[in-house]
Amino acid sequence: MFSLAFKNIVFYKGRSVATFLLTFISSILLIVYVSMMDGSHKSMLENALKIYTGAIEIYKKGYRDIGGNEYLLKDVETINKKLSHINGIETYTSRYETYALLSSKEYSTASMIAAIEPDKEAKLSSIKKALTQGVFLNTNSKNCFYMGEGLVKKLNIKLGDEVAFVGTASDDSFAANLFKLCGTFKTGSFEFDSTTAFVSKNYFDELMYAQNKASYISIKVNDLKNVDTINNQINSVLNDNSLESLTWKTLMKTMVEAMEVDSIFGYISLALFLIVIFFVIMIYGFVNISSRIKEFGVLESIGLSKINIFKLLFYEILILTSLAILVAMPLASYICYYYSINPIIIDGISDMYKEYGIVSDEIPFAFEPLRIFYNVLIIYLLNFLSILYPYYYIHTFTPLEASKHV
Amino acid sequence: MKKIVLTLLIFVVSLIAKEADDIIKKLDENMRGQNISIIISMKIVSLGHERMMKIQSYSEGTKKSFTKILYPPKDKGITFLSLNNQMWQYVPRIERIIKIPPSMMLQNWMGSDITNDDMVKQSSIVEDYDAKIINKEKNLVTIELTPKEDAAVVWGKIVTIIDLETYTSKKDIFYDEDDKEVRFFIYDKVKKFGKYYIPTLWRIESADRKDRYTEILLEDVKYDTEISQEYFKKSALKRFSR
Repeated sequence: MFSLAFKNIVFYKGRSVATFLLTFISSILLIVYVSMMDGSHKSMLENALKIYTGAIEIYKKGYRDIGGNEYLLKDVETINKKLSHINGIETYTSRYETYALLSSKEYSTASMIAAIEPDKEAKLSSIKKALTQGVFLNTNSKNCFYMGEGLVKKLNIKLGDEVAFVGTASDDSFAANLFKLCGTFKTGSFEFDSTTAFVSKNYFDELMYAQNKASYISIKVNDLKNVDTINNQINSVLNDNSLESLTWKTLMKTMVEAMEVDSIFGYISLALFLIVIFFVIMIYGFVNISSRIKEFGVLESIGLSKINIFKLLFYEILILTSLAILVAMPLASYICYYYSINPIIIDGISDMYKEYGIVSDEIPFAFEPLRIFYNVLIIYLLNFLSILYPYYYIHTFTPLEASKHV
Repeated sequence: MKKIVLTLLIFVVSLIAKEADDIIKKLDENMRGQNISIIISMKIVSLGHERMMKIQSYSEGTKKSFTKILYPPKDKGITFLSLNNQMWQYVPRIERIIKIPPSMMLQNWMGSDITNDDMVKQSSIVEDYDAKIINKEKNLVTIELTPKEDAAVVWGKIVTIIDLETYTSKKDIFYDEDDKEVRFFIYDKVKKFGKYYIPTLWRIESADRKDRYTEILLEDVKYDTEISQEYFKKSALKRFSR
């Protein structure tokens, strides 16, 4: 049956070439497009994680939904000790965040003040790299602000100028002090740059009565792929129901949802293309089968069963699809591999990103053999489906009718 | 006939609306008089502990008020001035007068459960809201205040229960734009000062934080006295801080 199928492929060249080419094109397109989509999503995520958000963050339950001093972490040192025993964590740092009023001589504005451990923060996020003027903070920095350029502009201040801070301390009492602008940064995130000022946690803890307290602990992991496993370990080590350890998938829910929506639209447009290809392959197959009704009638008359006819069609499409994929898969895999190592850089956007320094301008492809294998299976499945209607059409003829068909 | 019924209906509706407006105006008159000087004790309960504050406040009409912190010593001398719905603060420790920007108006005032907006816009229940009676039982009337179309207010609506014997509020419920309860002002211990009635004990609770509240006790209330206009100038922030 297999050799008969092979003979048919050679005999019906037109149908064979069309099926081969369509399968080849759709395989290349599916594998490369999915690789590009996955790669750009991964790049988006890595860029976002570089700026400030940690791969994992530990909060007191309620802090993210309600917020306020009631939901601060109260014993940061103990949590830090527990984290130091977990494998796969590259580094971690505690942050104390509060909303406060900042006022220059002319202007006042609401701002997010983030007290950070400067040395640890430099390893965990790209805040230090985003420096544009002045200096970054260090552990001994006193009343120094490291401020987003947008916020500096709002307050109309320059390096060395004084800024009054008015806020609420961790015990809900009133807190105020004068700070100096020591450095400015620009991350490329407009909202972040226009609302955020950093201060050394050592100094701020005294002002806010926040020793051994933090809004949350931010964690960087060695490999993002292991984030769920590490998070499970953290939850088990903390063993505290009042705390929650969350991965970037929850922390950046909006971005994850945006990526999912983007993927859905990507798959829908790809699916439309594949459906067109599927119908073209099916129509070619159907036209071919229609012209071979008499042949099938004769075959059935000499004893070939219906199931064998189905096998014949199946082998034909299997051979054609396999030939196309044998050529397409290595080529598409090479394209994915090449662009995963040498990402695409879009001119124009590249210059804009370089200005910010920390956000990558590259769009890498994802090279994942398993994903390529799944995509190949999709192509096989579609091609197998394309023989169902032609087979049904043959099935409607009796052997006698078929052998007399013109 | 139809015209008569319609006219009567409009007349009755306008009478009810006028009655609600009159009640709210009388309530507002009681709360502020022509001017009022008060010493306030404020107890803020949060994080499982109490903080006490003592405040001197002067206000005149709906547009002017001056507030000074008297206690605790750490915060003594901090002053606030509200003029025409704008607000400034003076902090002696850093010797700075700071204008509170509109984006901070919903922030808690000095860690209490009242907001900066409460300090500035106490008049808005008369000017910015339409009043409608929704229930009347003996001496108690429940009025719903909904924002006027062009009013710059933060609440979706306010429901207030008013005692018609004294024209003082017993409870205010504040709702957000999604019609969800946000906080409650509960009033008690109504006292008469001259011709005015005012509750001297206020309790402010958040709908979502049952473990914290603020209690305000009006200790020394003086209506319609002579308050120097010097208190309502920006220079007062620093001058009367000492």
